[in-house]
Amino acid sequence: MMRLMALSLLLILSVPGGLLAKPVLHYQGDQTLIKDTVWDGEILVDGILTVAAGVTLDIRPGSQIRFTRHDSNGDGIGEHEIFAQGTILALGTATAPIVFTSAETSPQRGDWGAVNMMVSESENRLEHCVVEYGYRGFHAHFSRASLKESLFRYNLRGAQFQESQVVINACRFLDNTNGVQFRDSKVTLEKVTIARSHWGVRCVYSEVNMTGCLIEDNLVNGVNLRDSKLMAQGNRITGNRRGLYLQRSEGIVSGNDLSANNEHGIFLEDSKVEVVANRLAENGRAGVRWLNSRGRLERNLIVNNGVYALINDGDNAIDARNNWWGSSEPSQIAAAIRDGVDRPGLGLVDARNALEQALPFVDPELSGIQPN
Amino acid sequence: MMIPFGKVTALLLGISLLLAPAVCAAPSAPEYSGAYAGKIVWEGTVVMAGDVLILKGGQLIIRPGTEVRVVPAEGTQIDPEYLSSQTELLIRGQLDVQGTAESPVRFVMVERSGLEAISWAGITLDRAAGSSISHAFISRADIAIRCVASSPLLEGNQLTACRYGIVAQEQSHPKILGNLIADGEGGIFCWRGSKPYLKDNRIIGNAEEGIFVDATSRPWLDHNLISKNAIGLALYPTDLPYDPTVVQGNTEDLRQLGRQGQNGVQP
Repeated sequence: MMRLMALSLLLILSVPGGLLAKPVLHYQGDQTLIKDTVWDGEILVDGILTVAAGVTLDIRPGSQIRFTRHDSNGDGIGEHEIFAQGTILALGTATAPIVFTSAETSPQRGDWGAVNMMVSESENRLEHCVVEYGYRGFHAHFSRASLKESLFRYNLRGAQFQESQVVINACRFLDNTNGVQFRDSKVTLEKVTIARSHWGVRCVYSEVNMTGCLIEDNLVNGVNLRDSKLMAQGNRITGNRRGLYLQRSEGIVSGNDLSANNEHGIFLEDSKVEVVANRLAENGRAGVRWLNSRGRLERNLIVNNGVYALINDGDNAIDARNNWWGSSEPSQIAAAIRDGVDRPGLGLVDARNALEQALPFVDPELSGIQPN
Repeated sequence: MMIPFGKVTALLLGISLLLAPAVCAAPSAPEYSGAYAGKIVWEGTVVMAGDVLILKGGQLIIRPGTEVRVVPAEGTQIDPEYLSSQTELLIRGQLDVQGTAESPVRFVMVERSGLEAISWAGITLDRAAGSSISHAFISRADIAIRCVASSPLLEGNQLTACRYGIVAQEQSHPKILGNLIADGEGGIFCWRGSKPYLKDNRIIGNAEEGIFVDATSRPWLDHNLISKNAIGLALYPTDLPYDPTVVQGNTEDLRQLGRQGQNGVQP
């Protein structure tokens, strides 16, 4: 309470016409909220603001939270942020979103730290928020959170979390240096757009369930899991350097459009995956690159890829029966596959029972997705 | 307890004598890791102990003859600070590698047991204006030199046993002159509207493509020797001029890519 006394109210800005703007809540220096607090309006955070354990910070629609830039160690990253050990409820509306942004006149990525949660076990919720120019737009350790219908843009990392349970629904991560990064977490991605980053999704030691997402135009990988489990259904992963890259992971990949990526639609490395009923088309180097992995490749539409439809770079065989290769002519299918026939020592591909025609591919249901 | 002055002096002298040979015999190389602003000059022997980021507005100059010892990241690095889980040199400011034919700049790995063949990320130029890399020896990198919306001069470098030699993406237009790119997975990749100028390069012995060009890119190929790769040229553009007399001896010299589909298969 005493610290709250330090809170300064900056009054009151006259504007032409005689109207009065709302006062700006100004948190100067490092402070702690020690009782439930409601924000409604303009807030300036000029330090690290901690939300104590057991305390709820309730942010009302239309509020704008600005953070000053303070880079104490010259690493290019501002440190002022919200550090929540309690609960954050930032529930904006479609017409009155809550904005977390830089206070700088020429804002840039990394101006401020994060909406940061540490051991925050009650559910934190961000809905209809815009989070921009942060280091990590959203960051969590040992926490539970729900992000819904929010926009994360111009951050060094759109969202990052560890040892957390996070549900992300209908959010857009656009033009961040990296999109969403996490480890040791259980994550649900529903109707999420992640575009124009270096990395789209990157994780280790996690469980990921993604449906109806649009992952596009990321310069390294669209989605990369290492030592993780994936259930991916009905997503569009397109225009990335690599589409889906799984390392030492397992899962089911079905009904996805993994097309027009610069390198590979899917790259499986030391993984165990069921790849079923996907569209793998027009990828630059290969539709599928398969390296020492196990699983099934079945009922997929694998056409029009650049150099090969399927590359087996490992020493085990691949069961690739019952796919549509753009032709049912065995010699043409064989020419589209590179395996031990072409490079002795590599495993073979069993592409028998090729489909006579493409099975109907249902485009992923991406309604509600706004890529821009 | 009081210690006589003379005994203290003798003790200090003894310690000094013990330490002196080590200090004089092996001055430690400066170590770099983290983000840097301003101007930095590397010369002699330097150690990249971790990721190095040159911030926008900063400049890294590497003098001729410098040896950069790259310490590989721990294999379990799971929260990479920047773009790669491997040790990386990331330039958002300016990079000037000033190697010469007589005194190249060498990036060498600090070995340890179990180190994989590809053991560091390489150099990334991310919207880095005005950069140049001349006469550098780079090996065992994931991508020796990656240009993202950057158009540096890359001249006289030897990029060997890297996964990829040079990647130009996101409207990068580097000048790539007189480099050797050999014994990796792929040589040069042109993606996402890039228009590099390639002259007098030798792209040899790569396990996959020598040069790959997507449908949106348009390099200028000027007398590059492309040989002993699995596929010499993998090209989406159908009208890209090149001199076929120097694209020879690959398993397949030219693979034309595009709407005709994978290896000629019609959809």
